[in-house]
Amino acid sequence: MLRHDVVVVGAGLAGMRAAIEAKRAGADVAIISKLHPTRSHSGSAEGGINAALGNASEDSPEIHTFDTVKGSDYLGDQDAIEIMCTEAPGDIYELEHMGAVFSRFADGRIAQRPFGAAGSPRTVYSADITGHVLIHVLYEQLLKYEVPVYEEFFALDLALDGGRCVGVLAWDIVSGGVHGISAHNTILATGGVGRMYYGTTNAYACTGDGMSMAWRAGVPLKDMEFMQFHPTTLKSNGVLITEGCRGEGAYLRNSNGDRFMAIAAPNAMELASRDVVSRAETKEIEEGRGVDGCVLLDLTHLGAKKILTRLPGSRELAMDYAGVDPILEPIPVRPGAHYHMGGVDTDSDGQTLLPGLYAAGECACVSVHGANRLGGNSLMETITFGRRSGAHAGAEALANRNGALVAASAVRDADSRIRAIFGRAGGQRPWQVREELATSMYDDAGVFRNQERLERCLTAVGDLRERGRDVVVDDTGDRFNTDLVSVLELESMLEMADCLVTGALARQESRGAHTRLDHPERDDERWMKHTLAWYDGGKVRLDYKPVTVTRFEPMVRSY
Amino acid sequence: MEVTLKIRRSPDGASHTTETYTVEVPETATLLDALDAVKDKRDGTLAYRKSCRMAVCGSCGMRMDGGAVLACKTAMKPLVEAGHVPTISPMGNLPVIKDLVVDMEPFWAKIRAVKPFLQTEAHPAKEHLVEAQVQQANIGKEALCIMCGCCVSECNSMESDPDFLGPAALAKAQRFVGDQREDDVARRSRLKDLNGAHGIWDCTRCYFCNQRCPKGVDPRDAIAKLGAQTFRFGSGSEFGAKTNMFAPVGTVVEPGVAHAQVFVDSTRRGGFLDETQLVPKTIGPLAAALDVPFALRLARAGKVPNPLHKHKAKNNDEVKRLWKLLEAQAREQQGLGTNHPSLIDSHD
Amino acid sequence: MQDRYAYYPGCLASLSQKELDSSTRAVCAKLGVELVELESMTCCGAGDIHEAKPDYYLHLNARILGQAEALGIPTILTICNVCTLNLRQANKKLKQDSGELERVNRNLAEVGAATYSGEVEVRHLLWEVSEGDGYERFKEIAVRSLEGLRVAPFYGCQILRPSKLLGFENPDSPQSLERLIEACGAEAIDYEAKVKCCGFPIVLAREDVALGMAVQPLAQARDAGADVIVTPCPLCHLSLDAWQQKAEKHAGRPLNVPILHLAQLLGAAAGIREDELKFKRHVVRLSSEVQDKLLRPQGAPVAGD
Repeated sequence: MLRHDVVVVGAGLAGMRAAIEAKRAGADVAIISKLHPTRSHSGSAEGGINAALGNASEDSPEIHTFDTVKGSDYLGDQDAIEIMCTEAPGDIYELEHMGAVFSRFADGRIAQRPFGAAGSPRTVYSADITGHVLIHVLYEQLLKYEVPVYEEFFALDLALDGGRCVGVLAWDIVSGGVHGISAHNTILATGGVGRMYYGTTNAYACTGDGMSMAWRAGVPLKDMEFMQFHPTTLKSNGVLITEGCRGEGAYLRNSNGDRFMAIAAPNAMELASRDVVSRAETKEIEEGRGVDGCVLLDLTHLGAKKILTRLPGSRELAMDYAGVDPILEPIPVRPGAHYHMGGVDTDSDGQTLLPGLYAAGECACVSVHGANRLGGNSLMETITFGRRSGAHAGAEALANRNGALVAASAVRDADSRIRAIFGRAGGQRPWQVREELATSMYDDAGVFRNQERLERCLTAVGDLRERGRDVVVDDTGDRFNTDLVSVLELESMLEMADCLVTGALARQESRGAHTRLDHPERDDERWMKHTLAWYDGGKVRLDYKPVTVTRFEPMVRSY
Repeated sequence: MEVTLKIRRSPDGASHTTETYTVEVPETATLLDALDAVKDKRDGTLAYRKSCRMAVCGSCGMRMDGGAVLACKTAMKPLVEAGHVPTISPMGNLPVIKDLVVDMEPFWAKIRAVKPFLQTEAHPAKEHLVEAQVQQANIGKEALCIMCGCCVSECNSMESDPDFLGPAALAKAQRFVGDQREDDVARRSRLKDLNGAHGIWDCTRCYFCNQRCPKGVDPRDAIAKLGAQTFRFGSGSEFGAKTNMFAPVGTVVEPGVAHAQVFVDSTRRGGFLDETQLVPKTIGPLAAALDVPFALRLARAGKVPNPLHKHKAKNNDEVKRLWKLLEAQAREQQGLGTNHPSLIDSHD
Repeated sequence: MQDRYAYYPGCLASLSQKELDSSTRAVCAKLGVELVELESMTCCGAGDIHEAKPDYYLHLNARILGQAEALGIPTILTICNVCTLNLRQANKKLKQDSGELERVNRNLAEVGAATYSGEVEVRHLLWEVSEGDGYERFKEIAVRSLEGLRVAPFYGCQILRPSKLLGFENPDSPQSLERLIEACGAEAIDYEAKVKCCGFPIVLAREDVALGMAVQPLAQARDAGADVIVTPCPLCHLSLDAWQQKAEKHAGRPLNVPILHLAQLLGAAAGIREDELKFKRHVVRLSSEVQDKLLRPQGAPVAGD
């Protein structure tokens, strides 16, 4: 019997941090992950992690909070943001003690670099491979704390009993077969869903499976329409070129060689908030001042030494995937789906409406990012809220565990669902539906949206959800069946697309990353509220809830 | 452009066949993109791992034409232009689960075996450990490792001895041995384990790992740094490597250290390797004496130098003086601990 | 190819592998190449000092490079893979890092040794004769056809990898030995293990592991019908030759493959006599049949004509 006090689904930064903290609390904790932990997408993060250490210049959690609130276009819950910004410095020091190899100033203090929309340089970094460094340090700690991992297990569904989540049903990818893994508390840390967009920085694995499970179990998803488009991604495969490049002084130019950010953000220029930059770029491209569908990220004036020491990873990516050496030539870039602000609705301890279910990291929406996230805040979110969820879930489990188990019938049902997929015939292959979805989302639910585009997209999503129910697999075996996995992932993406587009269509304003050409202004009076997307017999039903404002009254947001 | 691949298929790791596939992919396609096209449009049963597609997660290690690569970092265009059809097969030195998927558990077990986490005293929350950038440079390359397994796949020593810890685990070990935040107590404890069987001295210096690593970790260099660390503490220390030919019976001798010590001793004394000392000092005088047939074969071919006639370099006083000077300088620098600039790194 | 080189034979060629030195000198004489002795040669440090005492290794090699420079000769000729890698690695470090070069020179000067300013290159004999002008020169002196001899090339790790330090040819599919074998009139045998490790660095400390490696090229070459194996590295030669009987025992099968130094093969093709090639110094003896193919008088008929 597979049973634990706490089970964490997902082994990225949030998942591992949660598991470590729950273990420290004394709980019996295990992780379920469809990938080996160090393969998780957290490892792709490049630029850095924010905390008001004050090593580069005067800074404080208050300023960090304000920057984040403003960055969120006033949709972020300010109490949660305050918690994150206050606890961030301690979390950084703890990471350092765990062994993280951060870049340093000459005197040995942890270095901090400027990042988008930050009032003070507060992004702690490890060259430009910060995510890689952090994911390995947390994996090391996972080994130190001897947390078991159900590795290459695909979480299918949450198991419910008496109004409570009692665990997870998961498919063993290596050997096949469904297992019920019972837990008093389950923490979802499954990341984002960028893969439903054609141009995305996200790994193949980022398909929103955890959000989908929560949604189907009756937990509302919050602010789903807010998908951040990172301004500097490569056209060939969506790979991210870090904001850190702009932090180190890179420029954005159009086909005329002009630094076009001077129009949209005369003060912050290239370091304006990501939504501002992505909009400016899309405008340049759509109005004919792009270069082969891109704008140019110019690092040539930074010099070889700076690029080789501070941005070596970016250089390698540009050379491998864009055929360009940034020391010599600008890198063609364009916006790509990058980070999902929306997700499972939680409080500041990661609790959801469903007893026994928590969520943390990108799959959750506390909300600390509101309508737009600042660069460097996501890595911080994973650590702070991963820790808090783990601590809370661990302590709560120790205090109240009652031995509830995943029912055998639930395991059988999940198994039947898999066998039914194997039994299908006559449908399309998953890639066909996936490509259509991704193209439709990128074209019609991307940086610029309007009524017509969103309606077209919603219709397409509806149609694709239908066709998605019939997609067939070539592989009907039990052993390492990634064909099956792609079908399961497609299902998640289709559901999440529905939630996103429905919310986007309803929200008739522009705020943060959600830009309605037909409603170009922010409308606090009618729309300063969170969208909630509920599961309603397979369809999306919308509802709203208020934003928590503590210190900072909404203002006009300009950079 | 059109790409043709030969792929080694195996439903269960036991039997295998080679199948040929041709697919249409963009000119910017990598091997991973080509595999995706095969899986989507030709045969969905093809199994392989992937995730980030940007050479940082380490999922997609596999062999192309017998040498391990990251599929997502391998451009297809040069191969197509050369008219070459590559053969894709799973990584070596690891059991095959299916097609291009290997069982990574033996790999992870070796990583775990080197206790891959920082061992420090607890610190108060607000303070932080100060480690200068230059000291971090000592572990900068080892910290780049993405655990893809490409080095392990081609490790010649591991092929011959599957229990060899191997380049990835040893590079990970150096990432900690070289970390200033650990003290010498922790360091010596680590080195003690690493100097044992299947450890540092099993590396045959074939440099396949350096050559195949897609991230520039240079695991062989990391292993050499571990050797250097061992010698920093003194080969006659608790690592059990006493090089005195007349060491007490029952003394555990680590032959790898003893072997290196012969080079050091004879070079600093005479400038040249004293071959006559090499065998007895490495494997022990008793074992050397017992291997009579081997010795006779060498003698018959004239390969045993006259032990009474030592080969010395001319002006070897210079070499002796050089040795003394460098040792004195190293002693002065001891305060920096492991931060002696690494001269072993292979440079670009 | 140049007309004079600073000659760096290395430790083994001066001691147990003297046949390599004598063959090299003889071949170079035929090529019209002058080998100039260094003032005071020491060991290059091999892998062992490179690992155990990296700073000493750097200084020893800087001193060797400095001596070549002092002779006014821009290229050191090596005949051992390990020496080649060691010297080239030190050379690259000293050329790229002026701070290090300064520090090393200060120390060398203090002990009265030659200093180095970074103007020397290091090349293995294999590289010099397998392409360009050197290849043409070799073909001219290859007056004795080795037709009928089947030669399996064994490169040895450290003439190929890491390619960013060596970089002469593709480490996965090198061809220099094959070109030379064919220029000798012999047949080059292809087999998988030709780029793998002979195990020499650990043949004393970890004999079984090393033998598990050495067996591969020996068995594969034998099974592919090779008469001999040729190698550019005296350490590989020692491993595959002196340890061959142990390898046979380890593998539980006969091997009986004589190993030639590259210079011996080149020398045989150049008509050089046995008293300079010194095949007798091998542990695994050449059969009379193979010796005949190697030492056939010029113009003599080939078996099977």
